[in-house]
Amino acid sequence: MWEIISKALPQILEAGFKYTVPLTLISFFLGIILALFTALIRLSSRKGFFLVVKLFFRFYVWLFRSTPLLVQLFIVYFGLPYLKIKGMAPEGIKLDAFIAGIITFSLNTGAYASETIRAAISSVPKGQWEAAFSIGMTRNQTLKRIILPQALRVSVPPLANSFISLVKDTSLAASITIVEMFEVSQQIAAENYQPLLMYSLVAAVYAVFCTILSWGQGKLEDKLGVKANRSKKEVVIDGVERN
Amino acid sequence: MELREINKSYGNHLVLKNINLEFPKKKVTVLVGPSGSGKSTILRSLNLLETPERGKYLFDDLIIDFTKGIDKKELSYVRRKTGMVFQSYNLFPHFSVLGNIIEGPTQVLKLDKETAIKNAKKILKKIGLESKIDNYPEELSGGQAQRVAIARSLAMNPEYILLDEPTSALDPELELEVLQVLLQLAKDGQSMVIVTHNMSFAQQVADKIVFVEDGNIIYDGKPDPFFKNNKNLRITKFLSSMVLK
Repeated sequence: MWEIISKALPQILEAGFKYTVPLTLISFFLGIILALFTALIRLSSRKGFFLVVKLFFRFYVWLFRSTPLLVQLFIVYFGLPYLKIKGMAPEGIKLDAFIAGIITFSLNTGAYASETIRAAISSVPKGQWEAAFSIGMTRNQTLKRIILPQALRVSVPPLANSFISLVKDTSLAASITIVEMFEVSQQIAAENYQPLLMYSLVAAVYAVFCTILSWGQGKLEDKLGVKANRSKKEVVIDGVERN
Repeated sequence: MELREINKSYGNHLVLKNINLEFPKKKVTVLVGPSGSGKSTILRSLNLLETPERGKYLFDDLIIDFTKGIDKKELSYVRRKTGMVFQSYNLFPHFSVLGNIIEGPTQVLKLDKETAIKNAKKILKKIGLESKIDNYPEELSGGQAQRVAIARSLAMNPEYILLDEPTSALDPELELEVLQVLLQLAKDGQSMVIVTHNMSFAQQVADKIVFVEDGNIIYDGKPDPFFKNNKNLRITKFLSSMVLK
């Protein structure tokens, strides 16, 4: 058994570092930027034409939260080549599988994370805005220096959740011909007739990746939590504080 | 600083009814009255955290007509000239005491950090909180937090400091340390507008008393005739409800 594993593991890890990791990191990075942008637009109180923009972003969030990720991947990779636009894309939109994956995962993460960020920004008390305004800070200054740093702290745990989900969701990329970890494990299983072993092995690799991320989340929370919670008291759910 | 014919409503409820008020420079104006009378709304209007629907706001040579709306320049001028202190302090929890105080000077006034820190230290010394300079807001008592909030406002060197029930959230013991700072500021000639429920403090600090009830100004004048031998039934009733006899 160890012989089989030692032969398969390097191949799986190689696919992991070549596709799973970049796919996750790039998609999450782009997704967060998109999410922040979306959240700020949806929270804006501007009127006029801006309402149409707001409606558009609301539609985007609704669309990506209401349809399965696998279906979204299929539409972008297999469906868009049939979308022929005169002048712009007369031959249909044909995307490289990796690019199609990045686009879909980013849009999907962006939709979910925008709700997290929107809630985090709303959770900062109104008094913080007022205090910043009263010392003459502009809206943008207040957002950048006062509100977002506090919102970030609140949003780390739920965003880490999205990140960890994304690591595992990239296994769906196997279905659009990306040779990531899960696809490789399928190929090996087809050769050596060891599906239980191979799929367990790839599951273990996913688990290791996610464990590393959870550990990183803890570190990040410590780092961000220090300044706002110097006394290092941890609140537990029965309301008793312990040091 | 002056308000003229100010009207403000929330929905159908008129909270300020044709208010006319002057706030003299170098003096302390104290707004008193029952809860929900509109005194906080008056104060917040002075910092433009609230915008009345009608009326004029005069500040030095600037005239803001609320029916026409406020442009960015007017907004930043008024915010620059007035500092606000809130009942719940509203310190920035992710900054230290020093960070809270220099935030405005460095970000808004674009002062260099060294000068801002020097000023901050001077102010902290004045309010007796030098030792807390590197602490974070949640490590402070309520009285200390409110004094830091006052320091944050002073650091912007505003013409007027507006205080919205600055001691209402404090224990009597802690209230005293904040009131002492305010009395000292008044003595130094700092222009202030204070909303408070503490009548003995009001009597001691005020150069001018304004009694607000139900969006109307019932009294506007010197403190002595207000507190002593007042003939107005509403005011005597209010005053007697504020003190144990």
